[in-house]
Amino acid sequence: MASTVSDAATADTKPFDIVATYNELLRSDADLTMPIAAIEALVLLLTQSASSTISETLDLLEKSTAHLKRSIPNPIGLSAGTDLFQRYLITTLQRPGQLGPAGDFKAIRTHLLSNGRLFIRRAKESRDKIAAFGRGFIRDGSTILTNGGSRAVAALLQKAADEEGGPSAVRFRVIYVLSSTSQSCDHPNEEPEGMETVRALRAKGVPVSTIPESAVAYSLGKADMVIVGAEGVVENGGIVSRMGTYQIGLLAKAIGKPFYVVAESHKFVRLYPLGQYDLPIEQQVLEFKSEEDLAEEHKQQSSIADTNGDIPTKLPLCDSVDFTPPHLISALITDSGVLTPSAVSEELIKIWF
Amino acid sequence: MNRKLGLRRSVGRLWHHFFFHKMTEPSELAPTAQVSNPASSPPEQAQSATENSQTLPIRDSKPTQPTKDAPASTDGATEKPLSPAELKKKAKADKAARRIQEKLAKEGGATGSTAPTPGVGAQARPPTTPKKDANGAASAQKGPRAPPPRRGSGPLAQTGSVLVEQKKKKDDKKVAVFGHLYGQQRRVTVAGATKEVHHAILALGMQLMDYTICGSSARCVATLIAFKRVIESYTTPLGTSLARHLTTHLSYQITYLSTCRPLSISQGNAIRALKLFIAGIDPSTPEASAKTSLCEYIDSFIREKITVADQVIADSAAQKVQDGDVIVTFAGSSIVKQTLLLAHQQGKRFRVSIIDSRPLFEGKSLARDLAKCGLDVQYSLVHAITHAIKDATKVFLGAHAMTSNGGLYSRVGTALVAMSAKERASGVEIPVIVCCETIKFTDRVALDSIVVNEIADANELLPMSTPVSLVVRNPADAYVPPPPENKKGGNRAPAPEPPVVPHNNSSSPLANWHNTPNLQLLNIMYDVTPAEYVDMVITEMGSLPPSAVPIVHRMVTNL
Repeated sequence: MASTVSDAATADTKPFDIVATYNELLRSDADLTMPIAAIEALVLLLTQSASSTISETLDLLEKSTAHLKRSIPNPIGLSAGTDLFQRYLITTLQRPGQLGPAGDFKAIRTHLLSNGRLFIRRAKESRDKIAAFGRGFIRDGSTILTNGGSRAVAALLQKAADEEGGPSAVRFRVIYVLSSTSQSCDHPNEEPEGMETVRALRAKGVPVSTIPESAVAYSLGKADMVIVGAEGVVENGGIVSRMGTYQIGLLAKAIGKPFYVVAESHKFVRLYPLGQYDLPIEQQVLEFKSEEDLAEEHKQQSSIADTNGDIPTKLPLCDSVDFTPPHLISALITDSGVLTPSAVSEELIKIWF
Repeated sequence: MNRKLGLRRSVGRLWHHFFFHKMTEPSELAPTAQVSNPASSPPEQAQSATENSQTLPIRDSKPTQPTKDAPASTDGATEKPLSPAELKKKAKADKAARRIQEKLAKEGGATGSTAPTPGVGAQARPPTTPKKDANGAASAQKGPRAPPPRRGSGPLAQTGSVLVEQKKKKDDKKVAVFGHLYGQQRRVTVAGATKEVHHAILALGMQLMDYTICGSSARCVATLIAFKRVIESYTTPLGTSLARHLTTHLSYQITYLSTCRPLSISQGNAIRALKLFIAGIDPSTPEASAKTSLCEYIDSFIREKITVADQVIADSAAQKVQDGDVIVTFAGSSIVKQTLLLAHQQGKRFRVSIIDSRPLFEGKSLARDLAKCGLDVQYSLVHAITHAIKDATKVFLGAHAMTSNGGLYSRVGTALVAMSAKERASGVEIPVIVCCETIKFTDRVALDSIVVNEIADANELLPMSTPVSLVVRNPADAYVPPPPENKKGGNRAPAPEPPVVPHNNSSSPLANWHNTPNLQLLNIMYDVTPAEYVDMVITEMGSLPPSAVPIVHRMVTNL
């Protein structure tokens, strides 16, 4: 019965496209992370839908989540958000009392939606919290090596730069690793990811040196620590992050520099990769081709120029990720404190049980 | 950080955990003393087990239960606590004398050492004839089953008169580092069980001691089922309440079981949960309903903690199996078997490489079962580990227990397999995945395999299965042993097992190890794989890194 109702409901809200909403949200707000955008999209979906029972709501949620995950090439980040939201909904609905299964569904729904918004606001604030926790790691006179375009890392560094004691209370230097792949992607003329942060830091009086990825091993000797961001933190405490993070982790371990990860706790994913090739996404990183293959591919590409549907698109090289195993990570700086990698699973278990 | 905390918390508990020595009551010790003469052949054990469990109800009514050697007891019915022990001593002396005679009669006879002693169960039979009977029965009974080397097949023909010397000799037969584990000899017969012990428990004890029921979860389930029967046939004595008395009644059963084989972690956890439930029963509850609720509790416990948990684990573990995988596993874990079968049903194409070891050969039945279901199986012994690991892509291991510091406590040899998989010299790191129900988690820590372990009878190491090529076979069952390259041969049946010859211990160079000076035999049961060699623990609560074991354990026990 529920399914027929929900069918009708989805028919009503046909115009609402969760994928488009998600992408739109990400585009419109540069500060938005993937999991939060996913949660916000789901909240919007629930606002739009006319669902009137719990099972219907959950069903709708599940379907849209699956649809969203299927249509995004790299759903690791967003699945953290959708899983969290789903979990939150279920626990709220199971709780006895006015908002439990016995209560008025209208009340439940408004409560859910308002709380969902609250959650989003809190998630945005978490970056400040991280900056507060992580500030202590950046000491006077230290040099920090970082990469990618992580907003959490940027927030942390900027916070350290403009401490209350006037311009740049903490004097530190930054080595910024600029990815070569990110600029060669779809916007060849665009500046590489992270340039914005570099400019902001320089404006605050922090000396920044930008290096290519190939110079990491050379430069690590001058750095005191490595701080990176993450797209997702997985169950064993490892991270899924921008391609190139793993090799920085390996080098840092080899040279003996601490390797810190900055991540919001809503990026914790229920995922347990055993290695680089155990991630639930398809990446076009290793492509073995001979001259013949190249010619054939070129021919095919010209023939199907405009097939751009809902088909799970393969991840382009510039968006590819790698997995940094937990033994390379010294600590994770999150909004629930500074954690060792092994404490991540504890946090995750707390959320899920 | 967490690990350290857990460690500190439970180090204190280590000391009273030396495998439940203290659970044995003093009254038990006297009868088990005779156990130290492990000279009865295994089939006879089984026989006497069944005999005894059948006659038990009758014996129950008598207060003097261990006096089966009636003719030997000239002092008649004895109520004094000391007399059974005296009887034992006498019987032992008799036995020893007879054996010496026998030995002299059949100088160097092949079966000299395995001669069944007409001791506890069967008595007053002429010493020579029953031997053949027993041996015949032995091979008949063993028949199709791969003979797990049994305890009690050893020699030892010491005379009772040199008890002191014997004791001394015994002592230097103990491997010094593991000296603390020898504490109590394992029981080999049901003789000497107190009258409170239920016959279901007696039967279970026999099955536990000869490894008919083996494996942590199997033992746990069997124990719970036996307890259910105990509870069903239990009536509260006048003047006590069920909640108070049943616990003590059960503790007799538990004590008995632990003398058959030290209790597993899972058994311990299940018993703890059961006792907690019993203690929580309202004393005013009528007995019948209390008993039904207990039985229901046991049923749901088995279902929740083991049956369904296994399904959930197999489900998520099978997801980790991918096409083209070569999966290495060690010995015979039921949950790994379930996982592999499930992955096979899901249509995944992979190969399985089973590593096995002496003396239990648990991998043989796993190999047979998997091959029967159409999987590609390769079977080799642990010596061939470097070969097997070379083309492996994943290692799946079962567990006896997971300790609070993330250590994997499992059948001896597991650590070798896990460490080989992580050997970086070969350039690859193969993920090591442990499948383990949370009932097997413990708050103890294990820093090595020495402090906590289990020692099995060293005589199990003796039976020497002669290499196939050396066995003279009759042409009827001529089976050409496959050439050595069957290592790689995918679908081949498990390695040929040498034709079952009734164990002929005197042919083993070690047969006389008890009397050989400077020779010690060590048959250890478990080892500990440090947490850093384990990548992932799959439980019914999800997949965890080994460092999360104490957290989940705390959560599960608090629920």
